[in-house]
Amino acid sequence: MINLAIVFKEGLADFSRNKLRTFLTSLGILIGVFAVVILMALGLGLKKYISDQFESLGNNTIFLVPGRILSGGGFSGSASSFTGTFDNKDVDKLKRIDNVVSTAPLTLKSANAQGTIDEEFIDVMFSSEAIQDLMGFEVDVGRFFDKTDLTKRAKVIVSGPKIAEKLFGGNQEAIGKKIRIEDVRFTIIGVIKSKGGGGFGGFDYDNYMFGPYTTGYIFNPEKKFFRIAVKTKGEQYVSQVKEDIKQEFLKRYDEENFSIVEPTELMSAVNSIFNIFNLVLVAIAAVSLVVGGIGIMNIMYVTVSDRTKEVGIRRALGAQKSDIMYQFLTESVLLSFVGGFLGLALAYVAVFFISRYFPAYIDLVTVAISLSVSSFIGITFGVFPARKAANLEPVEAMRYE
Amino acid sequence: MISSSSDTMIKLQNVNKSYRLDNEIIFYALKNINIRIEAGEFCSIMGPSGSGKSTLMHIIGLLDKPSSGKVFLDNQEISNLEDDEISRLRNEFTGFVFQQFNLIPKLTVLENIILPAFYCRKSLSFEPKEKALELLRRFGLEEKKNSYPNKLSGGQQQRVAIARALIMNPRLILADEPTGNIDSRSGREVMKLIDDLNHKEKITVILVTHDLDIAKHAKRTIKIKDGQII
Repeated sequence: MINLAIVFKEGLADFSRNKLRTFLTSLGILIGVFAVVILMALGLGLKKYISDQFESLGNNTIFLVPGRILSGGGFSGSASSFTGTFDNKDVDKLKRIDNVVSTAPLTLKSANAQGTIDEEFIDVMFSSEAIQDLMGFEVDVGRFFDKTDLTKRAKVIVSGPKIAEKLFGGNQEAIGKKIRIEDVRFTIIGVIKSKGGGGFGGFDYDNYMFGPYTTGYIFNPEKKFFRIAVKTKGEQYVSQVKEDIKQEFLKRYDEENFSIVEPTELMSAVNSIFNIFNLVLVAIAAVSLVVGGIGIMNIMYVTVSDRTKEVGIRRALGAQKSDIMYQFLTESVLLSFVGGFLGLALAYVAVFFISRYFPAYIDLVTVAISLSVSSFIGITFGVFPARKAANLEPVEAMRYE
Repeated sequence: MISSSSDTMIKLQNVNKSYRLDNEIIFYALKNINIRIEAGEFCSIMGPSGSGKSTLMHIIGLLDKPSSGKVFLDNQEISNLEDDEISRLRNEFTGFVFQQFNLIPKLTVLENIILPAFYCRKSLSFEPKEKALELLRRFGLEEKKNSYPNKLSGGQQQRVAIARALIMNPRLILADEPTGNIDSRSGREVMKLIDDLNHKEKITVILVTHDLDIAKHAKRTIKIKDGQII
């Protein structure tokens, strides 16, 4: 049986004799694999980023949002969803539903705020003390506001770390400082640890301030909330609680006027959108792989006609058609595999630099796919030239100079 | 001449080889050839260039198929064999020596000699590398084993080609103008080797040549002209 080592050796010898030709031929596959791998890495990074954002909310939390949220699009939904709809009655109703651990109504206030260092246009989220647990905030310095602050309608504020840095120059520096929001003076009692992120579908909590919702009535005389977060006892209660809330709220609202949103559900919707988006991009990049494959086919045809005499000699020595076929196929696979490998290596380097700014990463599946696709291209586009070589008539081939 | 059919190695029966040159004109490279070659024979095929002797050799060597007529090897008709089976016969039965040597330039001397063994499907009774080294020793080329063919003289290349033809222990050596491309001294050496293969190892040899002196090495000469035996 034909020895693979010698076939490899011959292929490599041929490559090194035609270095430029080999490089240019592999280049098509190199670029194609590079593009596909980069796009896959970016897609993976984006997905991981989004799921990290959602995961921080936990899988036993539900949000009540005004209006109808269709599929995905993150928290914001539609513009109208920022206007308040729900009130304290709704919050009380939610509290009475079985397996609900805590509820946190949310209102937002955007205003100019004066710090000791700088003045900044900030967003304040007014909610209940339960928001700390719901969002998984950890206190870095000071304390979070509590039930007492709510009942006393205390003018206290907990700050995100970024805004504390901007306005006061640090977490420690911000504690105890007064901050004016419109005409109301608040005292900063704590700064939370960084949650990171922001952007796609999530709030950048590091740039937010948080206060008791009862105090927030100052800016919200109608006492309306634009969102209510509900925490259930556990993941297994989520669907039942959702159903109970729906039944309860339908008594008061039309079906179009509220939505019950589960972050994990939203996440899968967002993920499926990104998956499609990514697939389309990868498919476009894959076109360049096909072009690369045609390049390989072209050069393999040249190789076959260059080596017609050699094929004739081998046939005279007893090589079967399949031996000739395998030899040329091995070379075309080698050619595209090398291109694919270099493309992957290059993409690896590129992703290393990109990952400083964006959470792109290459996983094993991407590596496996890119290498097997490039081998597959070598086979697919190598098979026609190889068959041509295998079907040469021995005598005709030997006469060829 | 020995005529018992059991010793007949090769038999060509009414073999024709024709090419359609134009739509109407048919060119006969071989016309109604009948040949019988016995096992162990040393036979030469002689004729001027264009006489059809190479075509005849190709048909005997199973590199080409006749347009009509039958070819027998060991009394077995081979014209209806599968391509893989014919490749196997070329591999195991026949060793070729060509005028142009036809070594593969990117393989070393040793690799060139071993190459036929790679194409063999059955398990070999010998170690190809050992056998190749033994042949190189015998032909005085041992120190050239890792050289590439283009570093060798014509005579040396032809001896490598003969070693390659012998690696599979063939029963038939087909030599097509084996001295045509080398100097006369090397030519004599090569012919001495071929003589020995026939005399000492009892390998059947068919020598194709247009050179009367070379043809004299054979015990029998088949003369061919214009595609016909004369």
